Amino acid sequence: MGLAILLSVFGVGVVIGAPVAFAMGIAAASAFWYEGFPLLITFQRATAGVSVFSLLAIPFFVFAGEIMLHGGIAQRLVKLASALVGHLKGGLAMVNIFSSMLFGGISGSAVADISALGSLLIPVMKERGYRPDFAVNVTVTSSIAGIVIPPSHNMIIFAVAAGGGISVSKLFLAGVIPGILMSVCLAIAAYILSIKHNYPSEPFPGWGEVGRSAADAIPGFITAVIIVGGTLSGVFTVTESGAFGAIYAVLLTRFYYRDLSFDAFVQSVTGAVRTTAMVMILIAFASSFAYLLALYQVPAKLSTLLVSISDNPIMILLMINVILLILGMIMDMAALILICTPIFLPIAKGLGMDPTQFGIMMLINLGLGLCTPPVGTCLFVGCAVGKIKIEQALKSIWPFYIAILGALLLVTFVPQVSLWLPSLYE
Amino acid sequence: MSEHSPFIRHLEQVLDRVRSLCILISSVALVVLISTFGWLVFGRYILNVTPTWVEQLALLLICYVAFLGAAAGVRDDTHIGVTLFRDMLPVGAQKGLMIAIDLILAAFGGIMLFAGVTLMQFGWDTLLPMLNIPESFRTLAITSGGALIFLFAGSRGLIRILTFQDWAPEPELKDS
Repeated sequence: MGLAILLSVFGVGVVIGAPVAFAMGIAAASAFWYEGFPLLITFQRATAGVSVFSLLAIPFFVFAGEIMLHGGIAQRLVKLASALVGHLKGGLAMVNIFSSMLFGGISGSAVADISALGSLLIPVMKERGYRPDFAVNVTVTSSIAGIVIPPSHNMIIFAVAAGGGISVSKLFLAGVIPGILMSVCLAIAAYILSIKHNYPSEPFPGWGEVGRSAADAIPGFITAVIIVGGTLSGVFTVTESGAFGAIYAVLLTRFYYRDLSFDAFVQSVTGAVRTTAMVMILIAFASSFAYLLALYQVPAKLSTLLVSISDNPIMILLMINVILLILGMIMDMAALILICTPIFLPIAKGLGMDPTQFGIMMLINLGLGLCTPPVGTCLFVGCAVGKIKIEQALKSIWPFYIAILGALLLVTFVPQVSLWLPSLYE
Repeated sequence: MSEHSPFIRHLEQVLDRVRSLCILISSVALVVLISTFGWLVFGRYILNVTPTWVEQLALLLICYVAFLGAAAGVRDDTHIGVTLFRDMLPVGAQKGLMIAIDLILAAFGGIMLFAGVTLMQFGWDTLLPMLNIPESFRTLAITSGGALIFLFAGSRGLIRILTFQDWAPEPELKDS
């Protein structure tokens, strides 16, 4: 009965449009009350949920991403990508995908990626004769790569939701090949469509320009090197690396690039506060919610249910993928990582899947959900930036969905895709 | 909705100022958080002295960033929610649900406030390690967050009830 109260209060809250974080908090408080626990526990667990050392990396990553957005690093990465791949067929689409890989790799936020790169590239693509829906779809789907390319704050959330024991360094490394693989799959889809629609290529600017663009962009890219390198080398903890990376980004954009004004700094700080608060309040109340899910043995019950449908591991993994995809279509990523990890991770482990591989699979899955209606934040932002209707974007997004699904299936069924790089590190 | 009544206009202005204060405090907390971690790295690797208080201070500050920032998010309506199903309803029902959500959030904020006060009373005699201040300073974050959520959500619900005919629900685009 307690579980029914927990899930039904949460379900009703979500359906009527209450903020997901508070729906979780209210559901947890209701279940605690029903079970005769003091209501205090909801809030005690919420406070304990955010007072976790490794979570401190989240505001640092988010802040570094905001500084990149407002301090001119994003523009330099686009320039470098343009010099490198702009001369290919459908050049600006390639630039878009390659820039997302570089930028998303540092910011770890798909929405920041679309806001930064979409506003730069979509208008230019439209001017050069690309269809608006194509420009939006390339921007939206390529932004997902940033979620798995390190450093990514969603990986920290996954590591915390998994209850510790999963190395963030290993997750960082595990995301590299899947992120590149997704970008390559998307580039192939974009290339085929570019040939079909005869989209133009840009003139090659010469190796001199490539060198100048690289020299200009590399100091910005070092932000990611500091964060990932600091963590992998063991010199810094992930939190210290995040803070050091954020401070480096501020100093670089203020004193070297000279693009970060005081107003832009204030905008970056307030932007980081808003995003951090939104994520942390989700984590806070998800801690109470997840505590109750464990108390009611939901993972074990769901595992039994899935096994009763099929005992074939491939089928069970496909079912988990389908469930995550459907949930990703209607709910936000951070909330789902926090709710679904304690439920599905034990099942995946029971099937012999490495928790790191599961994490990457889950992130790609939920990332895809950000690009699908009815609740696709990235799709909405992309359409708003590209000034087109969602229906228009959806008519031609299928080749990109298929490309990402291809990468997702490889990550799900070929463990080496995500685990080869971490195995070298070990 | 504030065009019709000086009282509502004045209330909105006060609420906006309180919201701005929340963002200001959270922003200062974030900047201090990042700066102190910079100091930690500098101290450890350059001065060869690790400032051990940084970690505890950071864990304290993040509570303020989270709960005050979240309260400001309630005022700005930027929290992630699924409005898909609500948007399918007739306008009157949508407005009714939005008011109901405001009132439920306000009640939840009120419970947070009272629970926070109790937690503060429990924690007054326990000191935070390295900082030597009462544990209650950590729970003050959730207490003040609860009070602000009660204020922001409750007043929005009240304003929406008082001006029921004057506003229309808009499809929301939430950031992530």
